[in-house]
Amino acid sequence: MHLHKYEKIWLTFGVGSLALFLAIIGFAAFWKGTHPQSHIEVIDPQNVQAHESFKPENLGLHEVADGKYIFNIVASAFNYDMGVDADGVPVKTIRVPKGSTVLYQITTIDVVHGFNVAGTNVNMMVEPGHISRFETVMKNTGEFTIVCNEYCGIGHHLMYGTVEVYE
Amino acid sequence: MGKGTSKQQQASHSDSEVSFKGTFIAVMLVGVFILVSWFGLYALFLSR
Repeated sequence: MHLHKYEKIWLTFGVGSLALFLAIIGFAAFWKGTHPQSHIEVIDPQNVQAHESFKPENLGLHEVADGKYIFNIVASAFNYDMGVDADGVPVKTIRVPKGSTVLYQITTIDVVHGFNVAGTNVNMMVEPGHISRFETVMKNTGEFTIVCNEYCGIGHHLMYGTVEVYE
Repeated sequence: MGKGTSKQQQASHSDSEVSFKGTFIAVMLVGVFILVSWFGLYALFLSR
């Protein structure tokens, strides 16, 4: 089979790109631990309180070790339940120092919601019956808005919160 | 007769050499665009 010189070049380029992307996927999956945010772990959406992470007293931000946090949220139409503060007022803003590792754990009691901390890599689909998890290091300071990015109904735009990363 | 055929083959061969250049550039432009946009987004992912 006769292959033109140029054809050989772009076939090498194309196959090389595929090999490169495959290698990066392997690196991300096996070395960096990147995986889908929702795995096989299931939860009864009618009774999320039965799960340790989603008991009312465990909702919101908790420091589990020095610089390590767990942030538990229960999504519902049309609210993110992030627990209550000392005065019993629902939490809408959480504050973490720059460089802290935050594990976001979220589930929903009704329909599919989204959980996106705009300007960061935290971007998950939240499905009833599943727990979505994402752990990340908050590298940049600033105020990041939490938004629901899966249309969930008439009050979709009312689902928001703030993550404040301070120096 | 045989001479004529080989001449024709030669002619069509050199035609395809000429027409490949534009294709080559177009294919490489698409390839470079894909790679640049992919790595741009990956850099954005890593920086956040």
